[in-house]
Amino acid sequence: MRKMGFREFLFIVPILLLIGIFSLWPVLQSFTYSFFDFQLNDRTKSGLYLNERFNVDLYKETSLYVDRFISQDMETITDEEDKARAQEVIDQLNNLDEEFDKEEGVITISSEQKEQIEAAYENADATVQTLGDKYELQQEENLPLLVEDIKNSMIESNFIGLQGYKRALQDHFVLDALRHTLVFTFASVALELVLGLGMAMIMNQGIRGKGFIRTTSLIPWAIPTAVAALMWSYLYDGSAGVVAEIFSNIGLLDEPTDLMQTGAGAMTAAILADVWKTTPYMAILLLAGLQNIPGSLYEASSIDGANRIQDFFRITLPLLKPSILVALLFRTLDAFRIFDLIYVLTGGGPGGSTETLSVYSYKVMFGQTNFGYGSVVVMIMFVCVAIISTIYVKFLGTNIMDRN
Amino acid sequence: MANNAGAEKKGFGLPFWIMLIFYLVIIVFPFIWILITSFKQTGEIYGNNPFSIIPDNPTMQHYADVILEKGIMRAIGNSLIVSGVTTIYIVIVATFAAYAISRFDFRGKNLLLGIVLAVSMFPQMIVIGPIYNLFIDLGWTNSYWITLPYSSITLPMAVWILVTHFNQIPLALEESARIDGASAFQTLYKIVFPLAAPGVFTVAIITFITAWNEFVLAITINSNSEYHTVPVAISFLRTQFEILWGQVAAATILVTIPTLVIVLLFQRQIVNGLTQGGVKE
Repeated sequence: MRKMGFREFLFIVPILLLIGIFSLWPVLQSFTYSFFDFQLNDRTKSGLYLNERFNVDLYKETSLYVDRFISQDMETITDEEDKARAQEVIDQLNNLDEEFDKEEGVITISSEQKEQIEAAYENADATVQTLGDKYELQQEENLPLLVEDIKNSMIESNFIGLQGYKRALQDHFVLDALRHTLVFTFASVALELVLGLGMAMIMNQGIRGKGFIRTTSLIPWAIPTAVAALMWSYLYDGSAGVVAEIFSNIGLLDEPTDLMQTGAGAMTAAILADVWKTTPYMAILLLAGLQNIPGSLYEASSIDGANRIQDFFRITLPLLKPSILVALLFRTLDAFRIFDLIYVLTGGGPGGSTETLSVYSYKVMFGQTNFGYGSVVVMIMFVCVAIISTIYVKFLGTNIMDRN
Repeated sequence: MANNAGAEKKGFGLPFWIMLIFYLVIIVFPFIWILITSFKQTGEIYGNNPFSIIPDNPTMQHYADVILEKGIMRAIGNSLIVSGVTTIYIVIVATFAAYAISRFDFRGKNLLLGIVLAVSMFPQMIVIGPIYNLFIDLGWTNSYWITLPYSSITLPMAVWILVTHFNQIPLALEESARIDGASAFQTLYKIVFPLAAPGVFTVAIITFITAWNEFVLAITINSNSEYHTVPVAISFLRTQFEILWGQVAAATILVTIPTLVIVLLFQRQIVNGLTQGGVKE
């Protein structure tokens, strides 16, 4: 093997860049989002703000008016002590004006500056209150509102730490979505495994037209999931759908419309559409495994007088175990991440009864533009995926990595 | 295939053929039904007898509508551009990376492989938020830049298949090339690439199909209908107020044709690619 020098390193630069920018960086970024109350439709939260920030423009405008209004009333204020207090407020505001003279827009501020602004606000608030009680001020109604704006020009940090996670664990939408995802994953993968294994064994027989069967099997896998989902939503349609009609005729449904309008019906519909789309893929994966089992084993077993059922449990299944586990791993992860099919077929409905974690997190992020909470849901998914992979890899041993 | 000869002698009963035909019918039935629907008039699809097998008054109206009004051809064009560009750059990047992993000795090789494997496993939903914000900041939404984030769904599979392929090519040829003074790049280009061509071709087809089928990134980032890809354009045929099943059927048939052609021509390469993921010893 060649040692890696600079020239050789150039071979992996493109993949490092692509994976780094478009896969790893977004994961870290999503992880970061999940600790913030990050909402695109709220100006004060439309970014990740670890520090307090200060809306200088709003402050300058406010301070200008407060200054002017109090100055107008200086004549009315008779008590020297009150006059001094009013002057102090004006001075404080002017000091801040000078400090932020060169700034504009929204800036980050230090905690000292924050205290300074808070002190100015509190003093102004108290003073305006006292003056208002004592004297007839020209702008008596507007002044307290203006003073409020000094406080409003300070924008709190939207860092919330683990609160998003705490909320998610108590959010029944998340728990329901998790339950739907698990039901969908378990049911569809189990059906696909049984049917796929059956099909693989049929395709493994030396029959004519093997190529034709294999080509036909690839079609459902190859067409876009979104297209398949729309196709099935036609077949499932309550008034024009032939599958809904058949189900109703053979007594599975009371009315054809029940299929997509009841929670259990819609979930079953989604599972069946997924089984249709991916069973052939499962069959092809398992077929490759079956073809690696030496035929001599079956010959030996038939000499020993074993029947087909014994063949299946004593030879086929044990030798196929690695293939089955790999196929199950890929399929379980795919089913757990299911998005396109549900999003197009049911949109998560009726009444959220088919909303999976992917669909829910997408709706939170792009429907409610709440990227912070959406990312929390995504991170929960991430943890689940990691757990699923770890369990399978434990079963697989280190096979996957060792081969390379 | 030694076992097949043995199996054939046992013969197959009626249940075997019934199951096989049942399987094929279920796979093909939705397409046949959609094909029939695409020629039916709207009145018939919703009419008293929506389940007749032969359309009463066959019409090409739905095809005309989706092509002329709904711009399905534009979506097919967008999909061809996006998937084509993705395929080209992914094949190049993955070939270099897989060759390096297979042939060079470097620290962090297992880490790189582990990351590639992990990327293929994590939920796509995790990259979508940050990628969306990045594209908004760069002004890249509604453009063909979308091919770049497609790397997160296509690159791992491509690298994985190619590493397996390169590992099967004997080292001896390259060693003699090296003794003759060829550089690493020349060796890859002149010796390894021709030998790995079938594998590279398989990767190209699988990458193309994966990119062609991508939905979440496309619907999120390219929301403008000018840039809709096929899956997105099709999903928009279903609006909140009306679903014109005739148009849906016609569009489905149109967009499935390219996929069908690819599957028919390259089924062997596709099957090889799919099973390379870890099933072969």
